[in-house]
Amino acid sequence: MSSRLSALLSATFAEPGYEHLVELIHQRDAAGRRRLETLDVEFYDAGGHLLAAQSADPGLEILDLGEMIEKVAQSRDRVLVLFDARYSERVFPYRPHHYAYLYRPTFDDPPLYYAINATLGGVPDRIGASRLNNFETYLFRTRGFAERYSLLLGSAARFTDVEARVTCYYASATTTTTVTLAPRHHAEIVLPLEHDGEPLARVDLKSMFRLASYVVGRRASTGSLVLFDHLFTYFK
Amino acid sequence: MTRLLRRVARGLLGVERPLVYYLPWLERPGLECVLILSNVEARFKPEYKYGPFKLRVTQYDATGLKRAEHRVELSDSTDVVELPLSSTGAICGYVTVAGDCTHSDLYVTLSDGVTYAATHGRQEFVEHYPFWSRAVLAVAGRVLSGLARTVPAFVRYQYAYVGAGSRSDLLLLNLSNVTNRVRVIALPAGAGSNVMIRIPPMGSHLLNVANMVPSPAQGTRVVPLRLEGNAWFNLYVVGAVHSERSAQLSLMHVK
Repeated sequence: MSSRLSALLSATFAEPGYEHLVELIHQRDAAGRRRLETLDVEFYDAGGHLLAAQSADPGLEILDLGEMIEKVAQSRDRVLVLFDARYSERVFPYRPHHYAYLYRPTFDDPPLYYAINATLGGVPDRIGASRLNNFETYLFRTRGFAERYSLLLGSAARFTDVEARVTCYYASATTTTTVTLAPRHHAEIVLPLEHDGEPLARVDLKSMFRLASYVVGRRASTGSLVLFDHLFTYFK
Repeated sequence: MTRLLRRVARGLLGVERPLVYYLPWLERPGLECVLILSNVEARFKPEYKYGPFKLRVTQYDATGLKRAEHRVELSDSTDVVELPLSSTGAICGYVTVAGDCTHSDLYVTLSDGVTYAATHGRQEFVEHYPFWSRAVLAVAGRVLSGLARTVPAFVRYQYAYVGAGSRSDLLLLNLSNVTNRVRVIALPAGAGSNVMIRIPPMGSHLLNVANMVPSPAQGTRVVPLRLEGNAWFNLYVVGAVHSERSAQLSLMHVK
């Protein structure tokens, strides 16, 4: 493999029961130009155990993650999926983006389309991470919906634990939860909808380095995903 | 090389590109579209962290008509205002947001009253063509549209999805003051269908991809698309289910 190749580690979470199609190259350019050199995919349970690993055909345009998860997840609710991509910097001046289509058949919720997180573990300077601390924010509508919110957090680190501080903001109060994630561990952090009668307005996530992080909203009656979004990152 | 050619062409045509923050909006029965306006990023910038911040939200409809203008004041950098977009009788469009130090933290939400989906807007630009270059593009556009072609000044690639129960539509935004003829080609070219869409200046178009490619009996078909436009445009992906029982849609920005 050429030493001139760049690397990018991306991460998402996958749950059984969804169609989950991953675009290996978002917005492909002319055929043949936008090929990855290699793409390895790894699956981890919440305790950081490697469930499966495989090399994907880098010539693929779409990876059927939903089908893979049905085989890998077994009785698990959720799996952390890492995408280790090697690519030519000349071909991708910024980086390849993986996007995904997520839909739960037989439910009436619309499909979601989302950008897969680029995380630490590849080459940090290629994803703009020049400082140690990460600060991410997300805003919520404050009227009540039949929906519950949480953060999905995963550590793509290989050698060290990372502490993440999740702060929920209400009109006149804040609550903070601290979670420590060992390498390849992941967790769902429930965001309380109310505090002393005040609705959740904002969440901040602080960590020493970049985590796989998504804000998710689930329909209260079914648990189906109706929101799956990245947070806004500040100090990159 | 292509970038240099574009720059030269823009210079020859006298195109200006003022920065603009924009968000899409959508309307349909049973669906509420609300903006979340904030300037929370400003708290990291000492010179900007104290408000008030005044925002001007200008709402354009699919035909490019200015339908409404909203004035909003954020008292400080952590203040948040939810702005419902009033019904205009149109089905889609976009808003531009002008204000003090506002580059992020603005969301558009779609709700059926039970749940909501959200995505953020983009800080980009709108292309302004002077009168004479608008005339040149209009003539060239008319000639080429007779051949089912457009001036391919900008090309985007985007995957769309058409499933047995769901699909992803594309909300195309004409970010220019010229008529934008956008040619959408289902790839591979020649094997799939293609459509020509004429989007008025500052207008929008909601493209139902299921009208281009039939839905499969089961599963989801991936539809690679190539989009060519004669002026700057961008798009949002709109998730929808075929079922009439659900009005809810999802929205997502793309790179």
